Formats: sequence, structure tokens, C-alpha cells
Amino acid sequence: MAAPESGDGNNGAARMVTLISSDNTRFEVEAAAASLSQTLQLTILDGGGGGGDGIPLPNVDSATLSKVLEYCIKHAPAAANGGAPNATAVDRAELERFDNEFVNIDQSVLYSLIMAAHNLEIEGLQSLVAKKVADMIKGKSPMEIRRTLGFPDPTPEEQAEMNAHMLEYGWAYE
Amino acid sequence: MHGDDGSVTHVIGIQLFSEANIDLSNVSYPVYKQQSSHRPSIQDLNSASHEHVPKIQSSDYCGILQLSDEVLAHNILSRLSPRDVASIGSVCTRMHELTKNDYLRKMVCQNAWGRDVTVRLEMSTKMLGWGRLARELTTLEAASWRKFTVGGRVEPSRCNFSACAVGNRLVLFGGEGVNMQPMDDTFVLNLESARPEWRRVKVSASPPGRWGHTLSWLNGSWLVVFGGCGQRGLLNDVFVLDLDAQQPTWREVASEGPPLPRSWHSSCTVDGSKLVVSGGCTESGVLLSDTFLLDLNKEKPAWREIPSSWSPPSRLGHTLSVYGTTKLFMFGGLAKSGSLRLRSSDAYTMDVGEDSPQWRQLATTGFPSVGPPPRLDHVAVSLPCGRIIIFGGSIAGLHSPAQLFLIDPGEEKPTWRILNVPGQPPKFAWGHSTCVVGGTRVLVLGGHTGEEWILNELHELCLASRPNEDDG
Repeated sequence: MAAPESGDGNNGAARMVTLISSDNTRFEVEAAAASLSQTLQLTILDGGGGGGDGIPLPNVDSATLSKVLEYCIKHAPAAANGGAPNATAVDRAELERFDNEFVNIDQSVLYSLIMAAHNLEIEGLQSLVAKKVADMIKGKSPMEIRRTLGFPDPTPEEQAEMNAHMLEYGWAYE
Repeated sequence: MHGDDGSVTHVIGIQLFSEANIDLSNVSYPVYKQQSSHRPSIQDLNSASHEHVPKIQSSDYCGILQLSDEVLAHNILSRLSPRDVASIGSVCTRMHELTKNDYLRKMVCQNAWGRDVTVRLEMSTKMLGWGRLARELTTLEAASWRKFTVGGRVEPSRCNFSACAVGNRLVLFGGEGVNMQPMDDTFVLNLESARPEWRRVKVSASPPGRWGHTLSWLNGSWLVVFGGCGQRGLLNDVFVLDLDAQQPTWREVASEGPPLPRSWHSSCTVDGSKLVVSGGCTESGVLLSDTFLLDLNKEKPAWREIPSSWSPPSRLGHTLSVYGTTKLFMFGGLAKSGSLRLRSSDAYTMDVGEDSPQWRQLATTGFPSVGPPPRLDHVAVSLPCGRIIIFGGSIAGLHSPAQLFLIDPGEEKPTWRILNVPGQPPKFAWGHSTCVVGGTRVLVLGGHTGEEWILNELHELCLASRPNEDDG
């Protein structure tokens, strides 16, 4: 069985699949885009998700899923080219611009996205978001990290423990 | 929860990282195997009840803590520098627990130092673990000198050979024998063995004998020799050797457009395959200032001169070190200064990863008297975090060759610092007879007493502690 490809095959019409979010919203999307998810790809190759069936994704809400699919649709053509070895510099620059803008979103959405990308096994999305979160941590002091990422205030016991850790880690700041 | 007991876990880590271009996001994180050992199917997605289901609660809500351990450690923390990991490890108990894992610490070291470096350090970490090794190589708190004796002999005796490290082995090639006889033999000292001894490597073919050449480690068990002074004058040939081949054979690399024949030049390798050669002295005694690069991974390697619009004054006996993967650090040597030749204490940098690499003089801050006094044929040691230690060589004035100087050329305002280290340093240390074995052991061969080079006495600058070994 050939992997579904966008554009060609199927008499010119791309095969579509339906995904159903945890809040029962149905998303119709090209199979090629949904197949960026390793998890979904297997089901889709087995012919799932077509017709009226739809693939339920009870761990992904509609807001997150629409964001995930936005990424998949944008990246599907390049992925179909096998990592786009023949992509032009313009295409690559456009994808990079898209990626940068894509992760320029509220933190809580980033966390939902990375868990969804992890569960759906969408490598590119997972590392894109993980990199964004890592960048929010980089170069900051423990206090700054706390503020930026909204960690709860430590109890006095926790604070004492953390002070000990900071002593232990003191060398890393030289 | 995961102490220092996981030797099997460690092996898994090594295997994974010996693959080039491995995608970490597909590697199951051993500690979190329960969560990641199987590929979730649709059924799993349907039925899985996740440990951390995002729930918006009161003001205590913290998004990042809703992520699973696996995603946090494996995808996010593994992208950080040692310093960032220290910071986030001081934020809360859960983060602290996550940062204690040695596998994560290895990934973090790899981010900061590059994969080449972590591969070279693998031996040292078997004893120390990545966390402690990262700490010791950052603070240099455990650095010390020691002296030891090895067995075997390097015969006939010689000077002006070249030594380099191949993993945990020290390799010596060529040199100047009695009556200026150029030598063509290869010796190995395996420092992994309980009683290291010099052994001659039986090679089925050798390059022409020479001295004043350079010997560099490429990658794996491969070495490369360039130039030097042979029986019939100066050389510009290239030979490679696979030390672990069944029948080790020096093979000449036919390379187009070689640099002028030379001796007392300086070499280093970038990316494990690119040989860089700079400066040296020609047959007629002229000092050189050029920089050439040869990519030995190419099917038909061709020398490429790096056309820097400005070059440091011509010199010999200087050092070339690699930092930050593709950046070169040149220091010292005997340099042309007007009509004179003077020992130099100047430092220069170049990024060969740039489209048009340029030599630049490195402006250092602080008192000039703190920096290393001018010298040639000294030692330059690259540390994993991009810092460089300079010592030894032939020094102007009455300065001690044992004094260690430390610089981070990647800093915005690089500053020389003096590094004081306990133990007995060598009286002399020369660049051509010193190398770094296993990433943490700076081995200084012999030094001479009168005419004789004593190659059975070694001084070692240990950059990390070696808890399992006697300081015999």
C-alpha cells in the first residue's frame, strides 16, 4: 500500500480524513497532513478515519487540535518530499518564518501543544515547541524562571531545600 | 531514584550517541521506560489517563508542571546548558529530581561541548558520572599534576617527534634520531592498561622518516601526519593511519594543491575530518603565514587555502586549538616582527565555519602582565567548554613553563587567568610531545636531561579526579 500523497493520486482529489477532538469537534483534513503524526499514520494507512467514521482523539481539545493541524497542513508538502531536499531556499525561509510565528503564543497553549505532539508523535512540532520552552528558560536565574514560568511560591521548607541545591550548583555560574 | 548504579543504562546511552544525526525525540528515555517503551496506539490515546492532565486551578497553576517527566526531561531540559539546568534545578523539588539524572546530564554536556567532545570524555565519566565531570571541568577544582613511569622503550632514542592522543592511547611518530636521522616508526602507549608500556606498532608501510612534522587525531582510530623535515629536505605530504586496522598501514593521501613543504608548522583537526595547517618554516628558512584546510572525508581531497584578507605575522612553533566546534585559536610561536623574529604572546581566532573565514587578533582585557609571557613550542589544551589552557614551551625571560594560563576566547571580553594547580609539574613541556588523552589527561612526555629524551617518565596534568586510581 502506498503512502497517501497530497495532490497526485486518487484521481486528483486528495484523500481526506476526519479527526474528532475531546470536545467532539470534527476536523476534516488531508490524510497527508494528518500523517505527520506517526500515531495517526498507522491508522490512516489501514484505511481509518475516512468516510463518516473519524478518529477520536480524547486527549486533545479542539483549540489544541486546530493549532496542531495548522502546523501539519503547513509542513505536509515538505514532509511529502522526504524532508524537502529539493525545497528552495525561499520555501525553507517561509517555513522558518511560519514556525517562528507559530510558537509566538501563550505559554499554556505551548504546553498543550507539546503534550499533543508527544502523544501524536509529531516530531517536528514537538521539537519546535520544546525548543521554544527551553528558550524561555535559557540564561535566567532560578527566580526569573519562577516568575516567567509561573511556578508556585515555595513553602519555607522547600525554599531551604532549594537554597541547598543552589549551593550545590554554585559552580555552574562561574 | 536513579543513583550511580545504572551501568546498563549507561551503555545504552553510549550506543545511542554513537549514531550520527540521531533524533533524540525517538529515543526512549531509560528512566521513564514505563511511559515511553511502547508506541501509543489509537486505543492508548483513547483510554490513556495521563498523569498530568492540564487543569486550570487557582493562582497556583503552573503550566510547565503539567508536562510529563518524559517530555520535560527528554524534550525540554535536554536542550539546556549546564548553567540553565542548575537554575531550573533550583526552582522546585520535581525539577531538581529531574536534573539529577546522568543521562540528562550527558545530553546537557553534549549541548554545551558538542558530541565530539563527549565521545572523547566517555572513559572519564565511567568513574565520575557526567554531573561531577561537568563540574570538575568547569571549575578545574580537581586539577592536579602527577608523575608516573611507564614500561617499554622507544628505541632508537630521538627528539623532535610528534605525539598525539587517539582515544585513550598516546601515539608517537617519527622524530630526529642520532646524527639528525629522520625516523619513520610509530609507537603506542595504551593508557587504559593497568601497566602502560610503549609498543612499536607493526605497520606494513611507513611515511618517509621526518621530524618537525605534525601528527593529529582525526576521529575513531585514525591519525594524520603532515609535513616536516625528511632525508631529502622539507615535506608537504599527507599520510593517514587506522591504528585499529588488522594490518595498520600508513597510506599516502594524494591531495591536490598542497601547501609549500614546511616544518615546525602547526596543525589541528576540525569536525574529525578536516586538517588545518598554518605557518611553519620553508626550506630557505622563510617563515610562513598561510592557513590551509584539507577535508579528508572527500573522495578526492584537495587543499584549500583560506583566503583571509588579513593574517597574523608569519611564524613557527605556535599552537592551533579548536573551540566552539569550528573556531580556531592560534597562540604564540616565533613570529616575524619587522626584520626580527621574536617569541610571541599574541592570540588570534578564526571561524572556519563561516563563509569567508578571517583571522582576527583576540583583544584580551585585564593587565597584560597576567597573560602568558611570549613563547614557542608550548602546549595548548582545549577544554570541553571552549576554554584553553596554555603552558610550557620555550619562554622569554625567567618565567616558569609550569605556570598555567586559562582563557575563554568565546567570551565577549576574553581575560587571561592564572590557574594554580597542586602537585609536581614538569620542568619542561613542549607542544610536540604533549597531548590530551581521554579528554581529561594532559600528558607531557619526558623532557630531556642533557642529550637524552626520557620517554618512560610522564607528567600528567589531570583535569578531573580519578577516584579509582592510585596516585602511584
